[in-house]
Amino acid sequence: MKELHELNLPEDVRYSQDHEWARRENGRMRIGIDDYAQDQLGEIVYVELPRTGEVFSKGAEFGTVESVKAVSELFMPVGGKVTAVNTALADSPELVNQSPYGEGWMLEVEVTDPADYDSLMTKADYLKQLKAEA
Amino acid sequence: MAKKKWLRIHAGLLPYDQALELQLSLVAARLQGRLSMDAVLFLEHPPVFTMGLRGGRENLLVSEDFLAERGIAVIQTRRGGNITYHGPGQLVVYPILDLNAVRLGLREYVERLEDVMQAACADFGISAIRSPANRGIWAGPRKLGSIGVAVRKGICFHGLALNVNLSLLPFEWINPCGLNGIAMTSLALETGREVSLAQARQSVQHHMAEIFQREDVPADINHSQLTIANE
Repeated sequence: MKELHELNLPEDVRYSQDHEWARRENGRMRIGIDDYAQDQLGEIVYVELPRTGEVFSKGAEFGTVESVKAVSELFMPVGGKVTAVNTALADSPELVNQSPYGEGWMLEVEVTDPADYDSLMTKADYLKQLKAEA
Repeated sequence: MAKKKWLRIHAGLLPYDQALELQLSLVAARLQGRLSMDAVLFLEHPPVFTMGLRGGRENLLVSEDFLAERGIAVIQTRRGGNITYHGPGQLVVYPILDLNAVRLGLREYVERLEDVMQAACADFGISAIRSPANRGIWAGPRKLGSIGVAVRKGICFHGLALNVNLSLLPFEWINPCGLNGIAMTSLALETGREVSLAQARQSVQHHMAEIFQREDVPADINHSQLTIANE
């Protein structure tokens, strides 16, 4: 696995305990998994996402990713209604490895409570948590 | 530095659904901090077919009625991998590990499970190999051991299954792991002599502790209650 200083952790997203990220975009929130998570998973071969219109609370399971012989659950960094899912991942799950914050995004949601975002970690806080775990 | 400890639990012959319930309760205990160390379960399942997250029903070659007549259930699971068979004479190992705490990536974790099975096979004079066709371990073109894993918030469950001396007939009713036309084998078949489950378990147990650098703490399971033996 990557050393902590090798992780790509952009400043324009916030991070959850479960290694998901959220980014504000045009009044909506985009969600995906971060570089730590994709690195830990290895080559992703399948992504299972919810349907548009489904509503999830913060911390709820919204999908799964399968890497080599292993299925991992995904959890909402913020609560809200799904307004879009990244359908490209059905045919190209490897986008999550290649571009976790860009083409490998997973959901776009209409956030229920804007305070959810504020409770997520900044890059600095997230790095501190990762160092404490190690 | 002292080795990290983990609970080593011999769960005997345990039906699949009960084993899953036990695993999920250990995962929950680990996540909530009620269980301060990892655990590893050693068990056998009564005959059962299980499918992975992405299914495998298309790889079931007989009707469910045919299986029902023989009292064998087909269970949908949420682990990785495709359809497989479990039955008495197959050693099943379910490690419940906090992968983040030891900074273990999933690929590396799966490789370690393969290393454990290879080392155990070597103890019986079998040189098992990896195959690009599928994860797990092989004796030439025949499959000896399989892997299917799930992860919840960094804690892994499910694990490995090593064929020791089980009846291989039920594997003929499926395309194991979703692979067409592969043959399954067992330690007993490959060595041409009797290998007991206890012997295989002892070997796997030894290599699990060695490869994951852990010290075993023998424990018992009384349904949902965990008690540590000798304490």
